[in-house]
Parts: sequence; structure tokens; C-alpha cells
Amino acid sequence: MSDRALTATAMALRDQRRRPLVLILLIVVPAYVITRSVAETLPTPRRIGLPDGVWVTTTMRDLHGAGMGGFAIAFVLALVGVFVMQSALQGDRRLVVAGFRPTETVMARLVVLVAAAALVVAVSALVTALNYTPKSWPPMLAAMVLLGLIYGSIGALAGAVLDKLAATYLILFAVMTDIGVVQNPMFHSAPGNGAALLPGYAPARVMYEGAFSASFHATGELLISLAWLVVLATAVVLVLRRAVAASG
Amino acid sequence: MSPALPTTAAFVREHLRAPLTLALLIAIPVFFVLIFASVLGDFAGALGGTLARRSATAISAGWAAAFLAGTLAFFQVTSARGADRRLALAGVGATSVAAARIAAALTLGLLVSAIAYLTLWLRSGIEHPLHAAVAIASFAAIYIGIGALTGALVRTPLEGSLLVVLVFAVDVFSGPQMTSNGLLGYTPTRHAAELLVAAGGGQTSPSADWLGVGAVAAGALGCALLAFWLAARRRS
Repeated sequence: MSDRALTATAMALRDQRRRPLVLILLIVVPAYVITRSVAETLPTPRRIGLPDGVWVTTTMRDLHGAGMGGFAIAFVLALVGVFVMQSALQGDRRLVVAGFRPTETVMARLVVLVAAAALVVAVSALVTALNYTPKSWPPMLAAMVLLGLIYGSIGALAGAVLDKLAATYLILFAVMTDIGVVQNPMFHSAPGNGAALLPGYAPARVMYEGAFSASFHATGELLISLAWLVVLATAVVLVLRRAVAASG
Repeated sequence: MSPALPTTAAFVREHLRAPLTLALLIAIPVFFVLIFASVLGDFAGALGGTLARRSATAISAGWAAAFLAGTLAFFQVTSARGADRRLALAGVGATSVAAARIAAALTLGLLVSAIAYLTLWLRSGIEHPLHAAVAIASFAAIYIGIGALTGALVRTPLEGSLLVVLVFAVDVFSGPQMTSNGLLGYTPTRHAAELLVAAGGGQTSPSADWLGVGAVAAGALGCALLAFWLAARRRS
């Protein structure tokens, strides 16, 4: 990494650190949503289908414990993606005019997004662990990271091409619909028609596999999640690089 | 003609000039009511509440109006500071600018409420249409206050939108019949939610709910007016 890229990254991180309320909310919002939803939910029995075709009987409370971490992560990181990119569009064009390469400024913003993802996933995993014990942590953690980065990238794309109000509406509606309803086994015992077309499908299946199965049978879903992430991250880099380079 | 009227029209246009924002203001309440109405009954049951399916359908319209109006009011305050102060100094005055802002927020909030209300009516019918209309509009008015107050306290969009989301989450989990814990049940939209749940279920509401929703909505709009005035006033 060049000196300029390191400087841009350090400044972008300092910009976030200067605003302690962001850090507080990145911790409080997922912690509240996960804790409260699990605490309020009754242990009503519920039968759901896992990726390998196995059906398990669990409870609504355990479904909230297994799923709310992913929901909160996607929600918060999509918003972070929107506003990190909005900040980039405001400030980074000047850096490019001053001699920075567009890729260096874009990478600095992506580091901020990944750092926020690490914090939110760590908080969500910790709070989930205090409320619920999954059968297998590695797929749960992988799914949390993937959900965060996928929705962070979608937020970043929305922030790069839409104004902040439209981007916020679109992102919050997308997360609520995809992760909150369509992929949620509290409402559908197995994903319905068309669920697989949405970006939350594959990571959500990996997450519920980790929550309710000690062995791993969601390799296909994991690969689909990684493909979504690669495509979206590439799109973010291309769109943002083009946007910050267009200084004329 | 009062300068507040053309200023109000300009503020409304400011938010609707992006075609996608207008499309989302129309589409999101429709989809919110259609999608969430079908699952909120299960959700309320899972949380230990007693929300009947028809009442759950109704409350989804209130939440759609609340969230959209709250976010809109927050962004109105944060984007208003520089421009509104110049407008006030140019002769319109801080009070007129604040009045125009709140009129614009209410116009857009009522637009969203009307779309949510119509969707609800077409999807499942409403037993008490007037009660439901007042309740949904009250959700929007209360969240205009919450969004504007957030905008007055927090300047940056990420923190502000996360705060509005946090208030919304607390509200959703603490709403009537959504929680079995009565101690956690008092939130700003409590009375509006009681009205809406009753209207959706075909029941009338006690006068305490009407008084409560009127007082909270008036207080919220008062807070919003203060927030808009603070954004527009002269700094020495």
C-alpha cells in the first residue's frame, strides 16, 4: 500500500473516530435489537427446513436468537455503506484533484466499511452468544460477516448513485423485506418461490444451518454468498472510482 | 400572500424533484403494508402479544407512515441549516421558514399516510375508516417530531438515521399487543397504535386514547417547529 493510500485510510478512520456517537450506535443498535427480540419472544414450537433437506423442530425464540444478529448486521452496515460513500463523494474528489489516485481513495473508504463490519459483527456475535447457543459457530460467524459485507456493499452502491433520502428508504426497505421477511423461517418454514433471487438468501441459509445443525451441508449456499460479495464489491469499486474520478 | 406558502411549495419540490424519491415515497408504504401485513400477526404472536391478524394489518400502515415521515423530517433539518439561515436572513424570517418546513413535512407525511391508508383499505378493508385515518396521520406527525428533534441534536446523517432506526425499533417492540411486558409498553406512538389496532379490529377507542394521541402529536409537531426554527435562526 502506498503512503498516499495509507494516509487516506488513516484520515478516513480518523473521520469516523472523531464522532463517538457513531461508535456508540454501531454497538447499541444491534445489541438492543438482538437482546430485546429474544427476550420478548415466546418459545412457541416451529418446524423449519435446513439446506440439506433436513427438517428440525425448534422454537420461535431460538429462531429470533439465530436470525436477529444477521438482520441487525445487514441493517446497520447497509446504512454505514450509504453514508461512507456519501462522505466519499463529497470529499474524495478533492483528493483526486490534489493528486491521489481514485483507487487509493476508494480503498480507504472500503477499509472504513470493513472496520465497521468487524465491529458490528463482533458486537452482534457477542450479544447473540449471551442469548442463544448455535449448534456450530463457524457457519454462523461466516454468514454474519457475509451478510454484513453484502448489505454494506449494496448500501455503498445505493449511496453512490442515489441521494441520501432515497438511498436510506431503499436500503431499509430492502433489508426488512429480504432478511426480515422473505428469508425468515419465523414466517416461512422453508424459503418460498423467488427467495433464492435475493442477496440475503444464501448467507441466511448458511446462518440457519450453523444455528440448527452441528454438521455443515450448505457449501453451495456459501459459494453463492461469496459470488454475491465478489460481484457487489467489484461494482462498488468501479462505481465509486468512476464517481470520484469525475471531478470535471 | 405570506412568504411561507411559496417557501412550503419549494420545500416540497426539493424532496420530490428526484423521481426515485417520489417513486419510493409511493411504493414503500404500499409494499410495507402488503408484505408486512401478512406476517405481522405471526410476529405479534411470537412476541407474546395478542394482536389479531386484522389489527396487525392495520398497524403496518402506521409503521410505514412513521418510518418514512421520521426519516424525511430528520433529513429536512440536517439539510436545512445552511439554506434556511440564508433564507431567513434574506427577509423571510426564521419563524416563516420554520412554518414552511413543518408544512412541507406535514404535506409529505400526509401523502405517505394517505398511500398507506388506501393500501390498507384496498387490501383488507377498514372497520372504522375515520379512526384509522387519524391514527395513521398521527404516526406520521409523531415521527416528524422525532425525526426533526434528532436532526436538531445530531448533525451527521449516519448517526441521525441510526438514532431514528433505534427509536423505531424500541417503538415496534414496545407497541401495544406486541409485548407481554406492560412496563415497557409506553412509547410516543402508544395511543396512536391503540387507536389503529382498535380501528382495524372494528372497535371504538376510549376518549383517553384520543386525548393522548392529540397531546403527543401536538407536542411532537411543537418539537419539530422548534427544531426547524433553531436551524433557521440567526447566529450572532
